[in-house]
Amino acid sequence: MGYTLIYSQIYKFIPYLIKGAIISLQIAVLSFFIGMFLGLIFATIRTFGPKILDRLVVIYVTFFTNTPQLVQIYFLFFALPEVGIMLSPFYAVLIGMTLNAAAYLSEIQRAGFISVKQEELDAAKTLNFSIFQQVKYVILPNIMQVLFPPLSNHYILMTLGTSMAAIFGVEELTGRALNINSDTFRSVEIFSITALIYICITFLATFLLAIIGRYFFKAKIRIIQ
Amino acid sequence: MERILEEIPSFFTYWNIIFLLKAMGVTLLLTLLGCIFGFTFGILLAITRKTENLYLLPLRILVIFFTEIFRRIPFLVTLLLIFYIFQIFQITDSVFLIALYSVCLIATAYIGEIIRSGIESVNQEQWDAAKAMNFSYIQTLKEVIFPQAWKVILPPAFGFFILFIKDTALASQIGVMELTFAGKILNNKGFSPVLVFGSILILYFILSFPLDRFGKYMEKRIATDRN
Repeated sequence: MGYTLIYSQIYKFIPYLIKGAIISLQIAVLSFFIGMFLGLIFATIRTFGPKILDRLVVIYVTFFTNTPQLVQIYFLFFALPEVGIMLSPFYAVLIGMTLNAAAYLSEIQRAGFISVKQEELDAAKTLNFSIFQQVKYVILPNIMQVLFPPLSNHYILMTLGTSMAAIFGVEELTGRALNINSDTFRSVEIFSITALIYICITFLATFLLAIIGRYFFKAKIRIIQ
Repeated sequence: MERILEEIPSFFTYWNIIFLLKAMGVTLLLTLLGCIFGFTFGILLAITRKTENLYLLPLRILVIFFTEIFRRIPFLVTLLLIFYIFQIFQITDSVFLIALYSVCLIATAYIGEIIRSGIESVNQEQWDAAKAMNFSYIQTLKEVIFPQAWKVILPPAFGFFILFIKDTALASQIGVMELTFAGKILNNKGFSPVLVFGSILILYFILSFPLDRFGKYMEKRIATDRN
């Protein structure tokens, strides 16, 4: 085969890659939380809102969950300049991922809304709980226990999804790996290390989320499935 | 806006439409083949993980490693890694095959997990009962576990299939002629990106929406069956 793996040329790039991983995490965390907030609004509209708004949200969600995120970002990145809106690659990816996340997360959160049973609310009322107490002791624990596992799962998927930012030239983990690749041509070494860093950051995330879930929300997440 | 309207007749020519439909076929084929292989290997992985024989322990650890690793590497990185590994060994498979291998690997890892959780959803008593009747491991799975587990397995596995129709868009990065790559080519030819990526989005929607609906219908059917 005539090719030897030389990792020693790559070691010096590892800090550079890890800084890229931090940018990946930034994109993931930002789009996750903004997406969750938007998703919460959408889920509220779908559960309590008027019919017309509900329809609009359904259309939004079906459109965004049935088309690839990559093409959505392509659309934002290449088509919006036609109407005079120029987005930097970072913001194009961030907005694309946020809009996509909002669609998925609204569906997840709606499932959480449904999981609160009327009987429980009635029981809380009988015990003379105030609205605040109802939210704190009945609704939130219930919702979080149901929602925490799928939400943390989606967060992991989104961390992996940030790799497509590289296609638009954002210098996150995969983007930096591509940069080094065009410098050194040590492709397999670079991408295997990149893969390893992805495995580490997602493992770390799962681990932290599992601890948070267990101690705060009584949600059981297994670290190794 | 006027420019887009002007371009519409020159964009939707016979050849462009054939070109896009072919690309759509490639997307569907890539996902379908990948998921069929993924399902087959996924069953094997899940079966291996549920064995209790001590001698198979290394194999089980290997399976756990495989699933944990491939569920934590982005599809894009897997694609690039396999692409370059094939280059090292000078295997001259087409890019479609390389993308197919990556889809198979990832699909195996994910679907293996889905199948395993399906198997685990069956009560322990069923295993015990099968053992009491002196069923072999394979017999237990075939006669007792899978007939009950497939109802839990099928909806998420189908959901994964739909998810991968969209994820194969990343295969455009190594040059597979699928829908997104076709869009990029048409865009490079000078058509308006609004038109090109708009139609690509719609084509993906046409591909994924009926399947999504069917999946939800199936899920509801199976759920009512179970109660």
